[in-house]
Amino acid sequence: MNFARTMIDTVLSVRDLRTEFATDKGVVRAVNGVSFAMRRGERMAIVGESGSGKSAMAMSLIRLLVHPGKVVNGEVWLQGRDIMTMSESELNDVRGNEIGTVFQDPMSSLDPVMKVRDQMVPPIMRHLSLDRARAEAAAVAWLDKVGIPDAARRIDAFPFEMSGGMRQRVMIAMALSCQPKLIIADEPTTALDVTIQAQIVELLRTLTAETGTAMLFITHDLGLVSRFARTVAVMYAGKIVEIGPTRDVFGNPKHPYTQSLLSAIPRGADGGRSRLVQIPGFPPDMRQEILGCAFKDRCLGAEQRCGEAAPPLSARGPSHDAACWQPNGLDAGSLAQMRKTTDRAARPDVEALPPHDILETNNLSKHFVRGSMLPWRKPVVVRALNGVSLRVRRGETLGIVGESGCGKSTVARLLLELDAPTTGEIFIQGTAQMVFQDPSSSFNPKMRVQDIISEPLDINGRGSKADRAEKVRTLIRQVGLDPSYLERYPSQLSGGQRQRVAVARALALDPTVVVADEPTSALDVSVRAQIINLLCDLKDELGISFVFISHDLSTVRYISDWIAVMYLGEVVEYGPAEEVFRAPAHPYTRALLDAAPVLDPSAEDDRPVSIIKGELPSPLDIPRGCGFATRCPHVSELCRTEKPILVQRQPNRKEACHHVG
Amino acid sequence: MSMTGSAVLFSPAHPFPRVRGKFMQFLSNQKTQIGLLILVPILVLVVLAPYLPLQKPLQTNLRAMMQWPSWTFPFGTDRMGRDVLSRTLEGVKVSLLVGFSVAFISLAFGVVLGTIAGFFGRFVDRAIMTVVDILLAFPSLLLAIGLVSIVGTGIFPVIVAIAFADVPRFVRLQRSLVLGLRTRAFIDAARTMRASKTWLLFRHIVPNTIAPLLVAASIAAANAILVEASLSFLGLGIMPPEPSLGNIIRDGQTYLEQAWWISTLPGAVILAIAISLHFLSDGIRESLDPRART
Repeated sequence: MNFARTMIDTVLSVRDLRTEFATDKGVVRAVNGVSFAMRRGERMAIVGESGSGKSAMAMSLIRLLVHPGKVVNGEVWLQGRDIMTMSESELNDVRGNEIGTVFQDPMSSLDPVMKVRDQMVPPIMRHLSLDRARAEAAAVAWLDKVGIPDAARRIDAFPFEMSGGMRQRVMIAMALSCQPKLIIADEPTTALDVTIQAQIVELLRTLTAETGTAMLFITHDLGLVSRFARTVAVMYAGKIVEIGPTRDVFGNPKHPYTQSLLSAIPRGADGGRSRLVQIPGFPPDMRQEILGCAFKDRCLGAEQRCGEAAPPLSARGPSHDAACWQPNGLDAGSLAQMRKTTDRAARPDVEALPPHDILETNNLSKHFVRGSMLPWRKPVVVRALNGVSLRVRRGETLGIVGESGCGKSTVARLLLELDAPTTGEIFIQGTAQMVFQDPSSSFNPKMRVQDIISEPLDINGRGSKADRAEKVRTLIRQVGLDPSYLERYPSQLSGGQRQRVAVARALALDPTVVVADEPTSALDVSVRAQIINLLCDLKDELGISFVFISHDLSTVRYISDWIAVMYLGEVVEYGPAEEVFRAPAHPYTRALLDAAPVLDPSAEDDRPVSIIKGELPSPLDIPRGCGFATRCPHVSELCRTEKPILVQRQPNRKEACHHVG
Repeated sequence: MSMTGSAVLFSPAHPFPRVRGKFMQFLSNQKTQIGLLILVPILVLVVLAPYLPLQKPLQTNLRAMMQWPSWTFPFGTDRMGRDVLSRTLEGVKVSLLVGFSVAFISLAFGVVLGTIAGFFGRFVDRAIMTVVDILLAFPSLLLAIGLVSIVGTGIFPVIVAIAFADVPRFVRLQRSLVLGLRTRAFIDAARTMRASKTWLLFRHIVPNTIAPLLVAASIAAANAILVEASLSFLGLGIMPPEPSLGNIIRDGQTYLEQAWWISTLPGAVILAIAISLHFLSDGIRESLDPRART
């Protein structure tokens, strides 16, 4: 890399950073020689899957590693001073004063028993040597700047009195308030909803432009990278394998890992229905010494020399480096081979199938009532679901999207009779089964895979013991696992393998409908692709219908035939997935699509910034008129007083809005 | 097992390889080994006591009163010339019997009542927990003293009294474990397969409470040993001349200045047993719950 080039402008330069964690089971080499430099005002993203060492690297930069972690080598130069040789008191001055941090979970990084004022003001007083009154004024100004309404009053709020998005804004205000040269943000938007995430990213982007603060953004979300970062570094097994301008790296990736990762993500319109690339194998065990390139075992282009020596980063374009012996990484043929088979068959023609409904719900609603022990207190009613009617036909997938609190998981629970609806009816032909979000908690840790998959058969007494054992073996092969996995416990499986077992279990009773509630959101990008491919294949092979619930719009678009967009416990738009995504009619659908980052950096640059304001109203206090009226850009008097109903205006499409058409 | 296709409820999920693995893990745990290092020699002595060249526990010897510890009387003798070591070993037998019986009884009642309260909730829960909370309001030693004064003295009443005071704690523990498990996703998963309540209880909930319960039981055993000693010390437990660690200590208390060994040495044995049981409970916890290891 070219250190000398921009020495004057350089805020941070890292050389050969190595971090190790000494655990009971051996030394984990989390960071294996990372070097990079950042200029003033630069927005740089570090991407990688879990275990790639990205967070360990970021924590090493400010020497905030937790116990067994230790930086064993490297220099981190911040404005001419090496952080690695500083004393603890010098370091304390640097943290906060020159480097600000924003972490993933604002609830745990803010002190729950201190008011925002007490957490913000003292650091400002110390770092900027201001008196209390001035520091308080500065704090209020920053809160205002990060978009906290009524900042002068909200500064006296406790963290738990704020929403997740607001808390993250407070964290950002705190990080910026001491005017640092550099901000390190570790997955700052991962815990937030899409619309709030878009607001935060936009805020970070404008603030860095205004203040000239450089920002290091650590994330696993490639879409966010293309939206936010000018430069991107891709990490794999503790090393940067590709670094360069985001446009170049995403537009013309040179490292096989970057190339496969980018093809493992469902893209919007142009991606169509081509199968997602699956990266074979697993990341290497970081406790072992890695000989040669760390990616060689999973790379179709690997040669002999890849096993002999690790390729260094070398230039592939203007400030675009990649660590691969091949000048262009994988060729098109290898990538196509990783898609395994040819493109998926075109989806069955919606009109050609007999109109055979497998699942139908009628005006479904669910209200949770919390009574009080005092008889004169009014019971609190949470209206989680308010009159939802859905229909799923045989062999089709209905995608349900919406932000947290919109009632999509409640729909799933009602469909599976985990909860009883307050009003409305559900008709299901055959049985419905479920795939849960978190594959680790949906299994009894004391049961082996064998017993987990066989449990639904055992409960319902299907067939003889031998029949069941045979069925279990068929099922596990069907989800792409070797029967030898049957002997294992869930804790001995990876996240993707667990989710496969969950799918096998859901299939055991030959269901007609499988309800999948965020089945891929706990998984890494490359594993996610495998599960999505698996679900698509099963749908085609077995003719099962799916209800696919997710907040990830590109995945839902890829997998669904029909789509229902939910807001505050109601369906606000319903129609064929491709049409809804191409031409959203309801303002909320449009807002969601605008907020969701896409993978193409140039498209991100061209996109008009029209980010929806505000947050979801509380389901305790639903607006009288249209639920979306509080945030809608087209709101009128009518919307505030009269509730729009779901109306069909074009064939197959329905919206609940006064202003469509 | 019937092959006719009815649901098999109690077929264990192939327990043997796993149980054996867990047991080996327990044995190889460092704290387990420290605990065993203290407890096993004591147990060996207790078992071998009748065959050792010791004076019988109840036998008096007026020519050897209040003798210093020596080769003939390793723990010395008391005011009636009885051998303190042989009495101590007899007392340890009583202590261990009380400790493990109490642990077993509290475990049994605690699991049943706690599971019912936690799993079925509502009225049953409220009824059980009201009683439990009332009992918990009394210090367990006081409760045991009160009960002993009703049911009388001797080993069996002492076991009953201490267990009665211990059960509420087990109920509370088991209830909170069940409540935590009830909301886990794998319970929902089983419910979507139309699992019955019995299935949920015996396949999913109870097996997942065993590890923490065993930990609590081993601590309860240590505690029961101390409570029994306290009761006997106060003259409410095992009645002299029948030896128990508590009443041996009480006997020696009067002569602490002339014959310190009568009280002190049995006291040290109680301490050693209690410590070893705590080490064992740590060993159980660490080998059954991977997160507990630091």
